[in-house]
Formats: sequence, C-alpha cells, structure tokens
Amino acid sequence: MKASFNFFAGLTLLAAFTGCVSGHGPVVVGNPDDTRPLTTRIEPQDIRNTVEKMTESLLADPGVLEATKGEKPILDIEVMKNRSQMIIDMKNITDSIRMRLIRSRQFRFVDRSSSGVDITIMDEQAQLGLTDPRKAVRPGQQTAAQMYLTGELTDMSQSDGRTLHRYYKFSMILKDLRTGEIVWADEKEVSKVTVRPIF
Amino acid sequence: MKTMSFVLCALACALFTGCHTTAGTSVVLNHDTGGSLICEGNTRLHNAMAVTAVTYDKVPNGLNRVNIQLSSLVQRDQFLQYRIAWYNSEGMEIDADTRSYRPLTLHGLDAVTVTGVANSPAAVTSRLRVREVRSLR
Repeated sequence: MKASFNFFAGLTLLAAFTGCVSGHGPVVVGNPDDTRPLTTRIEPQDIRNTVEKMTESLLADPGVLEATKGEKPILDIEVMKNRSQMIIDMKNITDSIRMRLIRSRQFRFVDRSSSGVDITIMDEQAQLGLTDPRKAVRPGQQTAAQMYLTGELTDMSQSDGRTLHRYYKFSMILKDLRTGEIVWADEKEVSKVTVRPIF
Repeated sequence: MKTMSFVLCALACALFTGCHTTAGTSVVLNHDTGGSLICEGNTRLHNAMAVTAVTYDKVPNGLNRVNIQLSSLVQRDQFLQYRIAWYNSEGMEIDADTRSYRPLTLHGLDAVTVTGVANSPAAVTSRLRVREVRSLR
C-alpha cells in the first residue's frame, strides 16, 4: 500500500515537473492582467502598462493646457517608430493611446490617415446626385490639428554567462505645430531578465 | 518513510494548487469626502507591506489624482503588482478593461509612491489593489 502510494506521489511530481502531454493542452480564456512574463520580448502586458502610463502622464501634465490656453487641444497622431530589433505593430500602440485619450474627453483628435476616405465621401456627395446639395459636406471645413503625438521604441540587450538582460524604452513627445515646441515628453522603461537553464 | 510520503504528497499538492494568492491589500478613497478605507486580505502581505500615506488632488484639467505611499516592513525585495481602478458616483467602475495590473518592486524597508489619474471626469472614487506575484528571481 505504502509502496504504491509513494509510486503515485512520485509519478505526480514527475508529471508536474516534466509535463505529461505533448503539443497544446486545452485552451482557456485568459485575462490580460494575469499574464506573467513568458519571454524577454515585449509582451501584451508591457504594451498595456505603457499605454496606461503614457495616457496618465499626458492627462496630468499642465503644459498641454497652458499651450492651448485652457481649451481642449486638437491632436493628430504619428505612428511611433520602431528602432528596436523586435517586429512589433507600433500602430496598435498609438491607436490604443489615442483611444484612451479620446475616452477621457480631455483631447480632440483628427485623423490624417483617413483623409483619403473623407475626400472620396465628399466627392460622392457632390457628384453622384444622391445627396441633398444643401446638406452635402464640402471640403475645406475640417478643423486643424494644433499638436501631434509621436514617439519611438528602442532596445538594448546585455548578456553575462547564462543571464540575458533586455531593456526596452518607449519614449513619446507631443509637439506644438505652430511654435515647434515640445509641450510634453515621457518615457516608459521595460526591463526583462532571464537565466538560461543548464540543461 | 512516513515523513517521506508526507513531504512528497505536500509538494505535489503545492504544485497543483499554486503557492500564491491573488488576495491583497486595497485602498479605497472617496475624492469628494476624502474618506479612505484600507482592507488587508492577505496576512503575509499585511506583515510585509503597509500603506503609509494617501493624498489626493486634481490635475490641471480637473481630473482626480491619487498618490498612495507603500512601505516595506521587511528586508527582502517584494515583487508586487498594483492596479488603480476608478468608480463613478454610482459606484460602478469606469472603463474597467483599460486598467491593468502594473509591476511594482518594493525593495527592503523602502517606500514607493504609486500615482493614478482618473480616466474620466465622472470618476469620484479610486481603489488601489496591491497583490503579490511570483517572480523568476
């Protein structure tokens, strides 16, 4: 009895340490908050933390409101540059920052990237004859961006024996188009350390 | 022999059930009244970390901001996560999906201040949650 119990407990431990299935196990719905670092690369939780930090910093900064004399600033966003060795969708990050700033109701945004669609729709309204001419939107009435938001991602890696240290830095600036002045700047550092196993 | 069996069994149980808990310390602050409430749901964290100061103000555009100082009571490093959530006057969380847990390293007998800015003008109550996290280190 004792022998079989010990055998079972030992087997359980062995299975837990080595993994007893090959390939993927059952898939469960994950929570982005509960994800722990799996690799030394930039991971979804790093992006979430970066977006949140940048948004809060921008919302709390007095320089932005000073530059617009208390009015809600009208911004455009330029996709962040990726100067790291990783392939990463930078538009995804800038879109998330824009979304959060819009939802805070403290900033107004224009979107240069969809200007072509705007012109197409206005052309159709003017030329197809389907739209009431009095209600058709004419070009030349859109508001102008006062500032634009941009930034970059850089990385650095160091290794010492079996230890690998990767360092990433997201830096962002908000630039006033009229004066050319940088109104706000901030950065978020992400550091990942891993130790390569002996076996 | 019996001891060996017990140790093996306990180790197997620990591996399957997990060695950490997600319950932690929370600080609720009402920005209208200034009243704050600290709830400690994890004895180990309660013995290792304390909330030593809570202040609040408004950022220039009128959004609420909270600053909470956390102090280590032990000499070892602690690897924690924190999340600051914001609630409207009806007590409902605002944009829950946009608030994530952030990593926080609290060095031995050190103190850090975490800051949160409301994500909406409707936010009147903030809630900080701090929990332990397993670390590779």
